[in-house]
Amino acid sequence: MVDTIYVEDEIIGTKKAQEIISKFRHAKVISIKRFGEVFNPSNQNFRIQKINPALILAKKQKGFVLDAPKGFGIGDQNNYYFSHMYNCLYDCSYCFLQGMYNSANYLVFVNFHDYQNEIEKTIKKHKEKKMTFFTGYDCDSLAMEPITNFINDFVPFFSRYKKALFEIRTKSINNTVFRKHDPLANCIVAYSLMPEALAQILDKKAPSVSARIKNMKYLANKGWRIGLRFDPLIYCRNWKAQYSELFANIFKEIKEENIHSVSLGSLRFPKSFFNKILQYYPNSEELSFLRTNDKGVISYDQSIENEMNEYCRLELMKYSDARKFFSCG
Amino acid sequence: MIEKNFEEISVRWVIALKGEAEEIIKNYALKRVATTPFPVYKNRDFDMWLILSGIGQINAVAATTYLYVKSDASYNTIWINFGIVGSRNFKVGELIQIDKITSSDFQDNYYPSPAAFKNNNIECCNLITVNKPEKLFENDGVYDMEGYGFFSFAKNIAPYELISILKIISDIPGTDLSKIDNREVERLVSKQIPLIEKVLENLISLQNILFLQLRDPNYFDEICLQKKFTFSQKVTLRKYLTQWQARFPLRNPLDEIGQRMTASQILKKFSDNLLR
Repeated sequence: MVDTIYVEDEIIGTKKAQEIISKFRHAKVISIKRFGEVFNPSNQNFRIQKINPALILAKKQKGFVLDAPKGFGIGDQNNYYFSHMYNCLYDCSYCFLQGMYNSANYLVFVNFHDYQNEIEKTIKKHKEKKMTFFTGYDCDSLAMEPITNFINDFVPFFSRYKKALFEIRTKSINNTVFRKHDPLANCIVAYSLMPEALAQILDKKAPSVSARIKNMKYLANKGWRIGLRFDPLIYCRNWKAQYSELFANIFKEIKEENIHSVSLGSLRFPKSFFNKILQYYPNSEELSFLRTNDKGVISYDQSIENEMNEYCRLELMKYSDARKFFSCG
Repeated sequence: MIEKNFEEISVRWVIALKGEAEEIIKNYALKRVATTPFPVYKNRDFDMWLILSGIGQINAVAATTYLYVKSDASYNTIWINFGIVGSRNFKVGELIQIDKITSSDFQDNYYPSPAAFKNNNIECCNLITVNKPEKLFENDGVYDMEGYGFFSFAKNIAPYELISILKIISDIPGTDLSKIDNREVERLVSKQIPLIEKVLENLISLQNILFLQLRDPNYFDEICLQKKFTFSQKVTLRKYLTQWQARFPLRNPLDEIGQRMTASQILKKFSDNLLR
């Protein structure tokens, strides 16, 4: 439960800020000039803050829509991402956010209209091209939906732009918002998945993988298109058996025709992120297989990456059309 | 009360005047160890120090800096600024923990971590640090003359989560400041000692979490003593030993090191073993 809310003076009177504040009646509200005063200082400890994060409400000033990294996408020519929120309700050990940010506090930018204006401009500028807008990389949008109403605002918005795909990346099993709206052909509810035994160790505070599969089935039956995201693939002692079992469990419940895309990605960190994360989880066997590669990035050995990618693709091909497969970066 | 022989505890108090510090000195059995440039006190059994800074922000910064150096405070040290304040919002005698710090002189504001004031059931509010004793209390919050200076330095030498400002209300609008003498201040502080201890207990629990994060992996010191490692090699060694502990909890890394191996060869050996 959030018990401290920092709010920028500039937006404290806005409807969205007041709507969010009203959900935490017992929280102490502290006014701030800019979110950076609370979010950016170094010498904050991410792990301690994660025990009970505060909420920061702010106005995003620029950089509403950003180009996705090269090689990232699910089939369209142009790929963008946008983040209305930094940090996540869940506490996954391998999450890059804990290496990237000084603070574990939830930062929500409440000026959704500015994001929508920029997305609209981007769509109009490249109207001949197919494009995808990704969300849920700096947070889990669906998990925070009861607080932000982000998806409730953006599903109707994207219903006006059929050519633009809208991907919501999540581990949440909250389906309330999807019951409120008709399924949208250009919206992908993309689930991050890993074998159950690994998720129990690594995906702390997140719903179990079986609950995620159950929710995917529910959404698919309602007509929503599903994305499967095996990103990152996690190496461990009996990874082949674990991943085979995971794929079988998914396709036992979900028809292939409901799957929009499947993507696979390797576990990678910039060095500085990894050093922090290793300090937070010194006993993690899963992190012990990672190395600095020749590009100065922390990853598995190339042979492990290749073997995992190849094996998982072949396994997935037993259930799904390989043309739906994409690689994350 | 802090248990004796608690090795990891490390606490520093920065307090302006003797009257404000007296009860803390008594409660934690601190003995004077220096008189100039600032009076300094310390406990004999565990790592707790206290400095009397005198009034004002410059004194607060100077005293905090001095204590940091003199006491050889590590990064994982708790820093507390404690003292009396005035306010129009509270009753005389109330203990307040500060959640926002502003200054009459500077634009930047500071925000102590909520982790430091959670679970205390102590009222929190903003602090306004001024240069002259405040009588009008035009704004909400509490007024002091040191907090901003203290925090502006402390945030550079310790994690936000271990820095706290605690204040006791001594004057409200209409208070005759000449009547606030040492005895009165000591009386106000002594009543709040149980709550002050509770704040410190919470900070110590956070300090323990940090201690575990910052601790070197097993055998790091032994290996560094055996061979000469450069700074960057030590960073790599620390990483490999951490990974080693997680992967091979029953294998002693010292057994992997041959007598004639160089630092680079040792690192390569660990790296090869950890590959799969």
